[in-house]
Amino acid sequence: MIPKPSTIKRHLEAIITGLKYIFVKNRLTLRYPEMVQLLSENYRGMIKYYMDRCISCTLCARICPADAIKMYTVGENKLPGINYMRCIFCGFCVDICPKEALEFTNIHDLAYYTREEQIQKPIEFSKGPPKPIFKKEPMKIVVKLDKSRGLKYERT
Amino acid sequence: MISLDQIIRLIFFPPIFITIVFPGLIALLIVIVFLIWLERKIAAKVQLRYGPLYILKPLGGVIQTVADLLRYLFAEVIIPRRADKFSFIMAPILSFGFAFIPIVALPISSKYFAFKSDLSLLVVLALLTIAPIFILIIGWASDNKFSFIGSLREGYMIMAYEVPLFLSVLAMAILYNTLDIIEIVETQSKWVWGILLNPIAAFVFLICTFMMTARFPFEISEAEQEIVMGPFTEYTGIIFGLCMSYSYIKLYILSLLFAYLFLGGWYPIVWPFTLNPIMPGIITLIKGLIVMIIGIFLRSVYPRFRVDQTLRIGWEGMFVLSIVALILSFSLVILVK
Amino acid sequence: MSEDKFMQVLIGPQHPGSGHMRFIVKMDGDIISEFEPDIGYVHRAVEKIAESKRYIQIVPLVERPILADTANINLGYILALERLLGIDAPPRAQYLRTLLAEINRIHSHLYGLGIHGIMIGSSTIFMWCFADREIWIELAQELTGARITYSYMIPGGVRRDLPNGFNEKLSKAIAYMEERLKDYEKIFINNPVVTARLIDVGIIKKDDAIKLGIVGPNLRASGVAYDVRKIEPYCAYPEIDFDIIVRKEGDAYSRVLVRFEEIKQSMKIVKQVVEKIPSGPIINESYLKLIPPKLREKAEQTGIWKMPAIFINLKPRKGEAISRVEAGRGEVTHYIVSDGSPNPYRFRVVTPSFRNLIAFKYTMPGHRLADIPAIYGSLDYFPPSADR
Ligand code: SF4
Ligand code: SF4
Repeated sequence: MIPKPSTIKRHLEAIITGLKYIFVKNRLTLRYPEMVQLLSENYRGMIKYYMDRCISCTLCARICPADAIKMYTVGENKLPGINYMRCIFCGFCVDICPKEALEFTNIHDLAYYTREEQIQKPIEFSKGPPKPIFKKEPMKIVVKLDKSRGLKYERT
Repeated sequence: MISLDQIIRLIFFPPIFITIVFPGLIALLIVIVFLIWLERKIAAKVQLRYGPLYILKPLGGVIQTVADLLRYLFAEVIIPRRADKFSFIMAPILSFGFAFIPIVALPISSKYFAFKSDLSLLVVLALLTIAPIFILIIGWASDNKFSFIGSLREGYMIMAYEVPLFLSVLAMAILYNTLDIIEIVETQSKWVWGILLNPIAAFVFLICTFMMTARFPFEISEAEQEIVMGPFTEYTGIIFGLCMSYSYIKLYILSLLFAYLFLGGWYPIVWPFTLNPIMPGIITLIKGLIVMIIGIFLRSVYPRFRVDQTLRIGWEGMFVLSIVALILSFSLVILVK
Repeated sequence: MSEDKFMQVLIGPQHPGSGHMRFIVKMDGDIISEFEPDIGYVHRAVEKIAESKRYIQIVPLVERPILADTANINLGYILALERLLGIDAPPRAQYLRTLLAEINRIHSHLYGLGIHGIMIGSSTIFMWCFADREIWIELAQELTGARITYSYMIPGGVRRDLPNGFNEKLSKAIAYMEERLKDYEKIFINNPVVTARLIDVGIIKKDDAIKLGIVGPNLRASGVAYDVRKIEPYCAYPEIDFDIIVRKEGDAYSRVLVRFEEIKQSMKIVKQVVEKIPSGPIINESYLKLIPPKLREKAEQTGIWKMPAIFINLKPRKGEAISRVEAGRGEVTHYIVSDGSPNPYRFRVVTPSFRNLIAFKYTMPGHRLADIPAIYGSLDYFPPSADR
């Protein structure tokens, strides 16, 4: 079994490519939670609710495919509350709301200590998503696409 | 009372120093810890990742393996109910032991060695070939189909690498006209390095080393996507840790052997190394490390072969090449005479 | 022959190389003599759940089976639904759909290539594919606001317009990817170990492929030039110039090559889409006028459109509709039966993996145990998509 010259060439090419990458200074890992990506404004993250704009039309609760939004009776009104354990962030509720009472935020870090915290009644829902807590203030970065490096993480 | 002087003398008594300190247990442990870390780090670098990072962050996570070992240490050792308990526990320990013993026969320099024998090269190789037998036993003892297949594969691999490995060593022995490692190194210091004298034998030895130590592309007996963890599927805890380090020990010994046989061993001895008979060992270690690094680097380049393909490489490629290496050695010897 | 000659090996579902399914393998030494894929481990009754959902609510639901390729499976559903509703998407929306579908195809192929790589032991190609996949996810996120589950297509159009600066980002991504694919070739495609493992392994002959009903890249690798995008063009595909990649060999390696070349084709398509994209609305006129004027004005500026309230109560005519689209892994067929109520009477989706599954049974026997992951990966089979 004598290997063809082309096979040897391919072996060498593979090894050289491997070696090349040892010296390429590029890493695509995002070191969460030390680095946190600042998501773009139109990201479909956790949802913010403006109670004053809401007209209790129940459209959001009716379109929600995951039954995450439920209408609660608050005083005279029926207002929506959200269950983040069910929400799949499809954003249908935001898109169907006729009064823009629901809005996307670019907050993505959905982690709570207790189960109850994730079921938010209208009042809590209207407070907006909580600011994520980090042990150490993370480095905020934006992801840029780059011709030579693919993804580039830039500090903001 | 034993005085400090006596203790120091005891430590530096060659048979003890070689087995316990260098190139024995302590050096081995450090090298394995470093090597596994480096393997992951190189792979990570090629794959545009960071690799181990968080344990001792200023040094890039270099003691990650120590942390892993600690984890193995505290993990529960589960012995499957249907396993053959005695051999299940003893086989990995023995394979570890037999992989380790050949270190005794490795000299540090021409003046510092555990024992001098004109067959020390054979002793190392013979002891190394015992260890895989226990892998076969592991396969039987675990009572798991994947372990069984894995150990059978290991058995097939022995077929593939053993003969060419020995023949390539034989080629070098003919060339140096001795089987004593010390003399082999001395002969090289008078001539040139063995790798220049007989590059074919060096190549065969290197490839067979990778086969023997389950480096990519010959990581066949442990092929994860095919047979889970090969022979070691059923192992947990510290015994699993032993199993994992088993192939690295073999890599360590064979790489040192490669340095002795082909890279001129502890020569050239330059100034700081002349001070002490132990110091030249560092040169051997560095040469050996280079070989090991080549071995671990290949992980990030190659996938793995099939077992039948490896057998074919062993018999149709390496075996033929080793015969060529033998002929080359003979003709060189005749030429010189 | 006594039974002892054969060894039965159960691979999966808890096995590093099985995915979410089990193979019942009968081994004769190292040779596979019988191979039985045992599916259903991740069956989630998507079709049955769909019967209890409203039409719009099925949009996120159909995405779940094929997570690497959500846009394409979604597109199929929307096309079928639009046929029932008797509505069409405006040209700009068609182009946007094509754009996302192709970005997703690249994503899906990279995913498949990476998984195949790790299955035969190359961790480098796995990491590379999964890292570079991130670039396409990033682009899709820019367009839709989500990383994987886009729910981007709605009856009569799409939800969002091209964001500012998208073309520039896209051209950067394509330039990067083209460079990278050269390295992919060197380290994986041309790697002698890879060719040794994959060439002449798992051959599906042309006739067999047709008879078994294999779809997608696997079919094209067997020499059948069949691609729904050409045969029954939908969206913007009729106006776009691209080739069907076909290879004759039908082995595992040719399947890898077809996928690899299709990544390049998809980049070609994406480039054309952003060049040729017409201006205009992205939602059908009849729905557009139902959106309150104030919201419409705002949407025209931001490019993020609202949905009309009628979407909750979409009631298609009584009848049935079928649609076919070419997803990354092959042809997806959607079939909807409507009884005029807001929920479908019957919903059926035939995923490419489900159709490719049969190939396991007929290609594996005769190969070695080590070939199982090599062939499995080359078929780009995805258990959750087959099980639904
Ligand atoms: S984002 Fe989707 S799942 Fe979440 S609450 Fe809104 S409609 Fe429901
Ligand atoms: S759709 Fe908007 S306005 Fe209607 S109930 Fe929900 S939040 Fe309130």
